[in-house]
Amino acid sequence: MTDITNTQAAENQKLKEAYFTAGQGQLIWQRFKKNKSALVGAWVLIALILSGIFAPFLTPYDATIAGRDKDYLNGAPQIPQFWDDNGFSARPFIYTYERSRSIKSNFRWVTVVKTDLEDRRYVTFFAKGQEFKFLGMTFDRHLFGVDRGFIHIFGTDSTGKDIYSRTLTAINTSMAVGTIGVMIAFVMALAIGGIAGYYGGKIDAVLQMITDTVKTIPSIPLFMALAAFIPDTWSAEERFFFISMVLGLIGWTTLARRIRTHLLSERNQEYVLAAQLCGASSSHIIRRHLLPSFTSYIIVDLVISFPYMILSETALSFIGLGLKDPVNSLGVMLQNVTSADVLLNYQWYFIPVIFFIVLVLAFVFVGDGLRDAADPYSDSK
Amino acid sequence: MLQFSKFVAVRAALAILTLVLVSFIVFTLMEMVPGDCAERYVAFKNSQGSVITPEDIQIERVRLGLDQPYIQRWGSWIFNAFQGEFGDSCILRVNIAQLLGQKFWLSLGLCLSALLLAYAIAIPVGILAATSKNAVLNNSLRLVSYLGLALPNFLLALMIMLFSTVMFGNSLTGLFSKEFRDAAWSYDRFMDFLGHAWLPIFILGWSATAFAIQTVRALMSDEIGKLYVTAAAARGVSGRRLLMRYPARHALSPIINSLGFDLNRIFNELPIVALILTLTEAGSLLIEALARSNDQQLAGAIIFMLTASIVGINFITDVILALTDPRIRRSIVG
Repeated sequence: MTDITNTQAAENQKLKEAYFTAGQGQLIWQRFKKNKSALVGAWVLIALILSGIFAPFLTPYDATIAGRDKDYLNGAPQIPQFWDDNGFSARPFIYTYERSRSIKSNFRWVTVVKTDLEDRRYVTFFAKGQEFKFLGMTFDRHLFGVDRGFIHIFGTDSTGKDIYSRTLTAINTSMAVGTIGVMIAFVMALAIGGIAGYYGGKIDAVLQMITDTVKTIPSIPLFMALAAFIPDTWSAEERFFFISMVLGLIGWTTLARRIRTHLLSERNQEYVLAAQLCGASSSHIIRRHLLPSFTSYIIVDLVISFPYMILSETALSFIGLGLKDPVNSLGVMLQNVTSADVLLNYQWYFIPVIFFIVLVLAFVFVGDGLRDAADPYSDSK
Repeated sequence: MLQFSKFVAVRAALAILTLVLVSFIVFTLMEMVPGDCAERYVAFKNSQGSVITPEDIQIERVRLGLDQPYIQRWGSWIFNAFQGEFGDSCILRVNIAQLLGQKFWLSLGLCLSALLLAYAIAIPVGILAATSKNAVLNNSLRLVSYLGLALPNFLLALMIMLFSTVMFGNSLTGLFSKEFRDAAWSYDRFMDFLGHAWLPIFILGWSATAFAIQTVRALMSDEIGKLYVTAAAARGVSGRRLLMRYPARHALSPIINSLGFDLNRIFNELPIVALILTLTEAGSLLIEALARSNDQQLAGAIIFMLTASIVGINFITDVILALTDPRIRRSIVG
């Protein structure tokens, strides 16, 4: 009996020691793990990001016009199934769809589903398909495909592009826009907030004035003003980089303010004085002593600002000033749902909207969880 | 009293300084975009069939004063802007102040009503969420406020609109019925306006409400834990009286302080909601000015006016705070 209590006490002691000697990263992870919704958010987020990165492999067809299925425009999703009236099959299959339109059907597509046994199209895994480049190498295997014809699990759009392929590619594009935007915002915030916070006094007052001013200008109208002047002749890539740059150049203010406030309170601490007395230069103190003291806050802030970047990109693309149709971004996909025709006849266009909402929600959950976890006082509440 | 007037004077000076800075940023951006007003106008004339030479562009430039140095042009622009005069639109060739006039006030009215709606909902709900121990209530409120962010306004607008088109055959677009569009203001027109305006106000207020609930809840739960609340409770104050007289009053001032930024957020939503609901009387003019015609004169004026109204709100809230809170009056700049 006493043995058990002893070992328990020892274990408790160990746990305590582990707690008091843990690094900041470990502490944050410990607290983050307790937050179930944030943890779920993190897994969803990782899954979405990975599926964005590996989109060329996970999707059966090219997301551009090169991968279109010209016989299945505005086609409904084809759900693979295991059995029907003709019996069970261990391999999932879809039916063959034959579509036609004529004056008889008022020029709308009429789909005839052939459910006979010989019309089954079997789903194959690691199917050979269109070639794609990944990490500089060329592959032609996709996660799944069908033995003949095409498979569209989310349906197709008005030009016959596979919506599933487009959605995963769009996640990738939107994440890339967000990443570049956040990076630019981060560098600017670090420079401006760092200088303001470290030097204080007049420099701080002037920089604060500028930061506050930029913050007052409503950003979406300003984005629109800038994006509207992109010449039509610009290529999709140029547009893409311009939009990300604009997002970054306007989105730095909140982070700059936080960095400045933190530096202002930290720079009067003894360890800074000690470093100054040792003859360390300003930039050395900022880089080696002050910034590491709140890396975790910066990371949290970056995660929190990510969904705003994605939302801004979506908003811009949505009104037609951001990325445009041949490029697949979530904003472009959302723009496609705006017609009444889609709501009444082609509801599967809304599938990317679900992905969009889930992506933003996952980011918000993870951001909130990280913020609570990085706050050392959150336990006491 | 002297202290208060000094505070107001300093704040007013700061607000004007901010506006000058804003005008500089906006003016510079509008200068940086490729092409100028003269070229656009001449290109427009070109499309109407007259033949234009480079000399004509130069003459037009001189006529518009575009040959003067940059600082001088900015100076005259800002000087006129403070008088509510923004010159003529590049493409439409109409006086901008006339063009925007009523539309701007309508848009501002919509946005302010949305803000009002947001806080009318958020303050009671936020206080309730902060005080309640009910886990279901708290979690569902959290989900709603997350959705306020993740379900963008334009999507919500679209859903409601399409739903009503399908269900009622009325698309709920626009701000006025056909017969009132060009009529003078009257009681009937106002009622017609209200009948149309509730949807944009609701949609604009939707994500603002979600944010506001979060803010109110966070501020309230911070204040409730403080010692003065415990002390008041120990003196026997309880229930609603305790909440309203102690933590709520403290939590109120940061909320008033952030109203300007909430308005900023609503302005961000305005052009998109306006585009979907085809509110030609309000924000969609901005989109037209920007997307269709590259009209930098008009775009600059619109952004300046939006920012000016945010700066104005910030100034008003500062003054209100100073009236209610002596601590703020004493710190003149901070």
